[in-house]
Amino acid sequence: MDMIGLYPTWFEPGVGSGWIVGFIATIHVLFSHTSVGAAIFFAWLANHAHRHHKPELLEFIRRYGLFLLVFSYVLGSITGPGIWFSTTVASPRGISALIHSFVWMWATEWVFFVIEVVGVYMLVYLVGKVDVKTHTRIAVIFGLTSYTTMLVIVGILSFMMWPGKAEWAQTGGVLNAFYGPNTFAQLGMRTAFMFTMTAVVGGIVAGQFKDLALKKAIAGKLAWLGIVATLTGAAMLQWYLATLPETADVVLQNRLPAHFPMALMTVVAGTLAYFVLTLVQPRALVSGVAGVMTVAILVFGLWPEEVARESIRKPWVAGQYVYSNQVIGRDVPGMGVKSEIPTIEAHGFLKTLVFVPEALRTIDDGNRVEAGRLLALNTCSNCHSLSSTGIRPLRNYFPGTHTEADVATYLQAALSGGATLYMPQIPFNDDEARALASFILTLQPAAATATAQAATNVAKE
Amino acid sequence: MTPEMLYALRDPAGVPSHPLVFLVLGVLTFALHIAAVQVMLGAATLTLRGAFSGSLHWRRLAAAMITTAKIAVSVAIVIGVAPLLFVQVVYDPFWYTSNVLSAWWVIGFIVLLILGYIAMYAFYWKNHDIVADGGQGGVWMVLSIALLLAVGFIVHSLTNQMLFPEHWMAWYAPQGVVNPDGHSLHYWHLQRFLFFIALSAPVTGAWLYGYRRYLQGAQEADAAYLGWLRGLAQNLMLIGGVVSVLIGALWMATLPEKMAWFASSVWLLMAVVALAAVVALPLVLRDRIDTGVWGYAIFGAGAVGLIVVGAAREMLRFVTLLGSHGYDAMDYKINMDWYSTGLFFTTFGVVGGVTLAYLLTVAWQAGQSKGLYTPSATVTRIGQWSVGLLVGWTVLYFAVGFFVWVR
Repeated sequence: MDMIGLYPTWFEPGVGSGWIVGFIATIHVLFSHTSVGAAIFFAWLANHAHRHHKPELLEFIRRYGLFLLVFSYVLGSITGPGIWFSTTVASPRGISALIHSFVWMWATEWVFFVIEVVGVYMLVYLVGKVDVKTHTRIAVIFGLTSYTTMLVIVGILSFMMWPGKAEWAQTGGVLNAFYGPNTFAQLGMRTAFMFTMTAVVGGIVAGQFKDLALKKAIAGKLAWLGIVATLTGAAMLQWYLATLPETADVVLQNRLPAHFPMALMTVVAGTLAYFVLTLVQPRALVSGVAGVMTVAILVFGLWPEEVARESIRKPWVAGQYVYSNQVIGRDVPGMGVKSEIPTIEAHGFLKTLVFVPEALRTIDDGNRVEAGRLLALNTCSNCHSLSSTGIRPLRNYFPGTHTEADVATYLQAALSGGATLYMPQIPFNDDEARALASFILTLQPAAATATAQAATNVAKE
Repeated sequence: MTPEMLYALRDPAGVPSHPLVFLVLGVLTFALHIAAVQVMLGAATLTLRGAFSGSLHWRRLAAAMITTAKIAVSVAIVIGVAPLLFVQVVYDPFWYTSNVLSAWWVIGFIVLLILGYIAMYAFYWKNHDIVADGGQGGVWMVLSIALLLAVGFIVHSLTNQMLFPEHWMAWYAPQGVVNPDGHSLHYWHLQRFLFFIALSAPVTGAWLYGYRRYLQGAQEADAAYLGWLRGLAQNLMLIGGVVSVLIGALWMATLPEKMAWFASSVWLLMAVVALAAVVALPLVLRDRIDTGVWGYAIFGAGAVGLIVVGAAREMLRFVTLLGSHGYDAMDYKINMDWYSTGLFFTTFGVVGGVTLAYLLTVAWQAGQSKGLYTPSATVTRIGQWSVGLLVGWTVLYFAVGFFVWVR
């Protein structure tokens, strides 16, 4: 009998492991996109400053670079591997699928990271110490290298949604996995976003300039960059949405909170208004306001976007073959990968999973709830909290009074055949469905109260 | 945990090149990463020691070492990405299990590293001129070093938990009841951790020889400072080297039973010989360290020594998992991907090699020059090639991409 190689489960009862990953990823997206956009902007600005004999503009590069050294190259460079670490503990087989297909692409990105880190220190610390052409060349190398890191990661992120080419499942190979319409649409969207962020965060630095003429010059450049990037980004978002699989579209329409589209539109409109204001009235470019704008985009723009991106690829987490609950749900002949569903259908989860205490491999009256808890941890908890807080608590899906048999029947009907669009196929056999049902019933507030009451009675006795 | 279970945890997609390639790259990049970590810890400690000293030599060294430490953190992080990547490729069953079992510490690693780095910057911001004013806010540097050591300890623990599959089930489900909270670090080996931390002293000593030679190249006039640096570097290498070997001996004496073979293996012997050779190198070179590249060669030899130590460490892991648990990292299924394999090695060897050669040459020569630095025509040409290669790489990315997309 084949074993199913699911790892142990980490369950975080407060906010859920998914939100922890999302929090780290959102922070990383903010700082990494800002730094890539700024790197390219620096290359243009350094060139512009040297060609037009405006050395004062280099002071902006130096100060913005120093600012980025702390924020992007401390917070950004740590939260980058931080996403690896957090997804490792929240979704080990998801990150493993990406690592094993794209290890060389990630290693290639790493080469550019190394150049980028050397480049940013030189760009900041060699202002005025090397000749103009050399400094400009360093800025160009830094800008090009930063953008190549974006080029690489976008292909991997696209694969998380779906493989670039439909035939990848048959052919395998990095090229068919990496490149597709979603790759380029996402690249366009992220490129526009990174310039928007460069313009907003740049305002934090430029807002501190006392020299009004310099402030006006910088404010104008940042505002135009921001206006063009924000409008382009809105157009790219439409392209991106058009490249999503049908299932993603259905999830987008039906499963996301109603306020998400409004929040995104408000952020786009507010950002545009901010840039127009600073263009017309450079005095409005104040560090505090730019800081508030940065946080607003983070909370009302980036966070919904990251949540949406995470949600619309359900029930998959990678390449449309690894389910969100880590089970491999499809054959990928091109990679020699076989679906694990037939094995689970034949033998059940508890007989085949690696990390199962021996006493739980066979369900009986004495261990039914505990076996159900283990099943919930393995098959549900990635997307449904087992506590009353966190992501989509499981107990909220079974309100009111139900019998164990009712819940078990529902679980098998809804999940065993894989007919529910955004849910994985989870083929519980009769014993396992009953065990999971018995555990789910313990999650209800009434059951919890009864349990607490029973515990109190025992204590009194 | 039976071999069948360990193999079931492997990723079914296989690996895109021979596993040996990932093992070798893992060793090389680990050695570079740990060298940066050790310079970071050594430079931070010297900063703390020197900034509050009455001696101008110490204060001058502290001023240089705070910049070194700051950059070394960046370098350690960025180079550390590579061994982190490669360990997941061939040892995924072990790395992922170890991480999940201590999930909160894995998340804590990120938070502590950020705080440690920011604390170092806080000390830097409080000390604009250490030579003139002496140090201020030492608590920030103490905090930074403590947090960076804590981060190192977490990684040490995660790396060691990998090696004990026989305990995983007991850690995950004590007394048969699954506990998925990830709150605990389950295993550590203090002697092993301290060995790698103690190596910071000789590695930093080797770094100081290079720093000293760099000052000589920049026509440093303060001969007393150069002489003082040489004494400090030599002490760090000799005393630090002896202390490291003693702690290493303690590690070997306390190895778990299944790893006891390592203490009498040729791999350990090679590591000890390599470290001893590096420590002895300045004594052999004597005054030649003031000529040519010999002053820098000591750190270069130190890096080679760390590669040998890294290789021995890898053999300890490989043989333990093969011999005691039946897991052969070399028999991973291969789904050869020539395009991405070629792309990496070309990018690494050509684009990375040329561009880094240009940047580091400019940084080096600018640091050694008085006044405005203008590179030679040859160096400038390498810079033009660097830009051309990066543009070419980008063009290739889009050309291949569009071809794949539309075909």
